[in-house]
Amino acid sequence: MSETAESNERLVCAILAEQVAALRDRMDANAAFDLLWRTSALLSWLSGLLSDSSHNAPHANPVLDRERAEAITEIAEIRHALDELAFLQAQRQDFAKQIADCVVIALEQMAVAEMPPGTSFSSADLAALYVSDEQRKLHEAVVRRLQG
Amino acid sequence: MPTILVLDDSATMVMSLSHILKGAGYDVETGMNGREGITKLNDGVKPSVILTDLNMPELDGIGFIKEARKIASTRFTPIIVLTTESGGRKRDEARAAGASGWLTKPAEPNQLLSVVKQLCPAR
Repeated sequence: MSETAESNERLVCAILAEQVAALRDRMDANAAFDLLWRTSALLSWLSGLLSDSSHNAPHANPVLDRERAEAITEIAEIRHALDELAFLQAQRQDFAKQIADCVVIALEQMAVAEMPPGTSFSSADLAALYVSDEQRKLHEAVVRRLQG
Repeated sequence: MPTILVLDDSATMVMSLSHILKGAGYDVETGMNGREGITKLNDGVKPSVILTDLNMPELDGIGFIKEARKIASTRFTPIIVLTTESGGRKRDEARAAGASGWLTKPAEPNQLLSVVKQLCPAR
């Protein structure tokens, strides 16, 4: 590869590394999570209020009592689903962030001009950066596909 | 209320774990890496259970567990590793360092709470 082509590739890697890093840094403190947790906390508060009002006026109105009990059950179900959704989404986001981290490190290393002539960033170098089995499985599948 | 120390370099994960644990009746202390966790322990935080990620900057999960086991107050505290790593080698490494258990992400809130409650029931 000519010197100009190599330095162009390094430049592209450096730019891509910055762009993926910027994307990765936006992955935390998502407003959607904040809204999910606040909604969950609000539902918990409403459920407590309904429960309190039921205890303060027991059997005052059997229809209202039944509806309050149904609402409390429904709120608990929705809150559970919201918590589960937020937790799973947070973990998926964490995983995506780790993959982005790995891509940034690989691109940064490929952008470094100090590698000895004739050497390059290999797939084994990339595999050394992985932090999950999911990444390793994906890596192996791609290697198999391209070599098979 | 029993205290759970949560260590993860993802702010979203820390917030999410805190929300679930607080909702189940636990006090939560947090840190973004193992070094912050050790600082908390040295500052007198006495968690009933520690939840830690493995891949963190400055001091990773394995390093944290080794350091925490040297501190008298956390020598026998249950430490659960919560991580995307499910590989046997990492698991063995964590166990050798002193980890008590392992949860692979993605875990469900019920899974997490059932492990924490077994080790330390909320009051």
